[in-house]
Amino acid sequence: MKNFDEFSKPEEYISPMDKHLRSALRNWAEKEVMPLRRKYDEDWKEHHLIEPAFDKLMGNKGLGIQKALFPPELGGWGIGQSDYAFTVACALAEEVGRADTGMAVAFMVTYWPLTTILVDPHVNWRLAREFAPMFCETEKAVFAANAMTEPQGGADIENLEITGGKTIRTTARLDGDEWVINGHKLWPTNTGGVAKLFIVPCTTKPGSTDINDFALIFVPADAKGVTQGGPYEKAGMAADKNGDIWFEDVRVPSWYRAQGPGKDAEVFREIIPWGLIGSMGFLCGAMLNLYEILYDFVSTKTYKNKPLKEDDCVAGIIGRIAGDIDICRILAYESARMGDRRNKPYGYPLHSDEVVSKMRNLKDFVSDRAVDVFGKAMDVLGTYGADREYDIEKHWRDIKIIQLWMGGKQLCQMEAARYFFNCKTL
Amino acid sequence: MNKTLDELFVYPKELVDEESKRVIHLVRQWADKEIISKRQEYRENYEKLFIETRKSLNLTIGLQRLTLPEESGGFGWNNPASTPGIVSVLTEIGRADAAIGVISAVKCVVFAATTLLPHLDKDVCDVLAPIYCADELKTPSLILPGMGTVGEETPLFLGRSILATVEPDGDGYAVNGKNMRPLNSGAVADLFCVVCADKLGRPCVALVPGDDRNIVRGRTLLETGLNASANCDVSFNNVRIPKSYLISRDGVVEQIYTWLNLLLGGVSVGVGMNFFEIVTEWSETRTIKGGTMMKENPLCASVLADVADETFTARLLLYNLAHIMSKPDDWGYSGSQRVYTFSQIIGSQVQQKIMRAINRGLELMGSAGYSREWHVEKHWRDIKTIQSYLCGVGAEAPVKMDTARFFFDCKEI
Ligand SMILES: Cc1cc2nc3c(=O)[nH]c(=O)nc-3n(C[C@H](O)[C@H](O)[C@H](O)COP(=O)(O)OP(=O)(O)OC[C@H]3O[C@@H](n4cnc5c(N)ncnc54)[C@H](O)[C@@H]3O)c2cc1C
Ligand SMILES: Cc1cc2nc3c(=O)[nH]c(=O)nc-3n(C[C@H](O)[C@H](O)[C@H](O)COP(=O)(O)OP(=O)(O)OC[C@H]3O[C@@H](n4cnc5c(N)ncnc54)[C@H](O)[C@@H]3O)c2cc1C
Repeated sequence: MKNFDEFSKPEEYISPMDKHLRSALRNWAEKEVMPLRRKYDEDWKEHHLIEPAFDKLMGNKGLGIQKALFPPELGGWGIGQSDYAFTVACALAEEVGRADTGMAVAFMVTYWPLTTILVDPHVNWRLAREFAPMFCETEKAVFAANAMTEPQGGADIENLEITGGKTIRTTARLDGDEWVINGHKLWPTNTGGVAKLFIVPCTTKPGSTDINDFALIFVPADAKGVTQGGPYEKAGMAADKNGDIWFEDVRVPSWYRAQGPGKDAEVFREIIPWGLIGSMGFLCGAMLNLYEILYDFVSTKTYKNKPLKEDDCVAGIIGRIAGDIDICRILAYESARMGDRRNKPYGYPLHSDEVVSKMRNLKDFVSDRAVDVFGKAMDVLGTYGADREYDIEKHWRDIKIIQLWMGGKQLCQMEAARYFFNCKTL
Repeated sequence: MNKTLDELFVYPKELVDEESKRVIHLVRQWADKEIISKRQEYRENYEKLFIETRKSLNLTIGLQRLTLPEESGGFGWNNPASTPGIVSVLTEIGRADAAIGVISAVKCVVFAATTLLPHLDKDVCDVLAPIYCADELKTPSLILPGMGTVGEETPLFLGRSILATVEPDGDGYAVNGKNMRPLNSGAVADLFCVVCADKLGRPCVALVPGDDRNIVRGRTLLETGLNASANCDVSFNNVRIPKSYLISRDGVVEQIYTWLNLLLGGVSVGVGMNFFEIVTEWSETRTIKGGTMMKENPLCASVLADVADETFTARLLLYNLAHIMSKPDDWGYSGSQRVYTFSQIIGSQVQQKIMRAINRGLELMGSAGYSREWHVEKHWRDIKTIQSYLCGVGAEAPVKMDTARFFFDCKEI
């Protein structure tokens, strides 16, 4: 094999932007991230090292990629309305994830709330126009957050099919032409003082299981009554800050609701495939990097005075590792195609069981493989496996949470069972 | 939890005598009082408390002397029959802090190679005992064979490259070796126990005092876990040692591996048990589906079952090994091919089991498991670090080869 680009992907479906985007991102990663990433763990609170790299990725002085989803007439690249939105997302997630999955999630989550108003067929032009300048007209990286998880648990909120939203404690009350929001969220990516804009999944009628009472409301971080705590210290993902947010009688205009009764629940379900494709892309990117590092290691270190890779027993293990990476990449791109088929006669809407449940299942599978593959790779490195200098251990720490976020592993398993076996009570 | 840890994670009690039980009990009290009951404080002041708690364990309780002969001032646990007691102590330490466990395990391993009956090396014991029985905290470090580098032929220990060499020099020996990675504490060690090759390429073990001027230390490593152990690469440039500091009896290297497998297994099982305690608390207080206690959900319960059964069976396996090692007349001593191979198999299984238990348990803890606040992520990192070190080369290829060689009489692998 020539290099890590040879891992399989469906060439016939790749976006025309793929080559250009990848090369720009790879240059950025090689220059701005790779040389510094071993120091990121100590930078988790301040982001002195991390922030400048974000600016060069996202802001207009750099690649300006944070505006990608916005329509061209509002200053964006129009990806949200293209037939390649998911495939491009997968490629972006891969390239940034190859360098640092924490960075990848912080950057991609910025798109996450915006998908509810910028992706065909749900473009909300009024909100698109409202928020376009915040992201399209700045040299700095600007972040958004999707504040789903509440203290009592993240899984239930992502499990609207079963809970119907009855567990949600964050409330929105209409007062004249304003929403008044109260509640407490924690853990969203880009909290801890980072995000300028939140989307807040909440209920207009606490305890209700009527999907029409579920609401998605945009809240600027500087709105009165929004308080953010500092970031938590975590096992990894230093480039992503996560903390608490309290909403206390926060007022926003009534039209900051993403799509309206019923529709909000639908676009919220559509958020899930976006999160899943990002997750799979991050994992594939990290695994591509693992392959690069491992290749070098097994070619230069020896067992029985022969390169590790020339020992049949070790070869059996690294062959499987690379094989798994190939398979995971194929699955990630197939998932991306599921998303991009949403507008085709043979495709399914993003909120359909066909897309959500299958993708949850694929993400669950790819994360399990990735956790395994990284664990094995550390073992191949043996005494060097835990050494930060080899970068594999950092990915190992970072990617574990990808297996667990978005409602948890068990939720994925339940959705798969519900879909494939028509279970009624899970 | 309405059952005690010992009622859940059982082992054959008759393997441990009453005196050992008292020591084990003391160590559990130390663990609970000094570390487990104040995890938050321990985490925030880690570097300081790491030394203090090690001191109270090693000097106040006196575990630094645990495996030294009684006549030299030790507890006299230098008899194979003490093996189950020693592994129990290491389990209790591991339950509190894996890094303290690893350093304690290495200490016991060094003494197993030098003072364990019937191979008590009187000369070495006479040197080490006064140092380890005094009231200063000591930190030995172990350097094992491992990977080589392309272009450099090295002598081998069962396939693994021996990076250090030893040759006669005046009335002692000179030890050489470049950029070797110890198992632990390279940066702070006061004694290195190094597997070397002699002039004929035969493996032997040298004891190298850590303060020799001809030892060059690299920068302290940042690792996934066990960072308090302060490891770094070391080079020996013609370091001279007295004649008695070289142990070249047959099987000594195997013996080191055997004990390491056992005792690091003990540390990891201890970590697994504390992880179990934390997950138990979590599963009894966390609710899902708007009100079901997590442990009452059948799918979550099945994950909890995995956590319990991996830890449970790991502990049983480990005592099986300890039992085998405590009966040299039945199975051969701890440096024999048989016991060495059994220890490799069980050592590897135990690490994998505890790793799996923690990986599974973390699934149920969601973000809490990933945050430093809940302490489980430290356990997860520490275990992975121990496991990778024990893998040594190429994901345990040598362990598999050792096993195949013993069970199938392979000749060329
Ligand atoms: C780095 C990082 C980034 C994050 N980013 C975001 C973000 O951008 N936005 C956001 O809102 N949150 C975010 N989170 C939070 C994360 O999504 C949640 O932690 C996750 O959804 C799980 O929720 P929980 O931790 O509250 O666990 P819980 O909801 O308490 O679930 C615990 C366990 O119960 C299981 N479980 C739950 N329901 C069921 C069921 N019905 N059947 C069987 N088992 C079940 C789950 O699988 C899990 O194993 C992030 C967390 C981290 C660490
Ligand atoms: C139902 C059935 C249908 C079959 N159909 C056909 C058919 O249509 N046409 C046909 O020609 N054959 C057929 N076979 C035979 C089958 O393809 C062979 O059994 C298979 O290729 C393995 O060959 P072998 O049994 O001779 O094993 P061997 O070649 O002796 O191999 C034995 C083991 O050694 C391992 N091994 C071999 N080389 C290496 C190496 N270099 N490094 C490491 N490990 C190695 C192998 O992986 C294997 O585990 C069929 C067999 C069955 C049971």
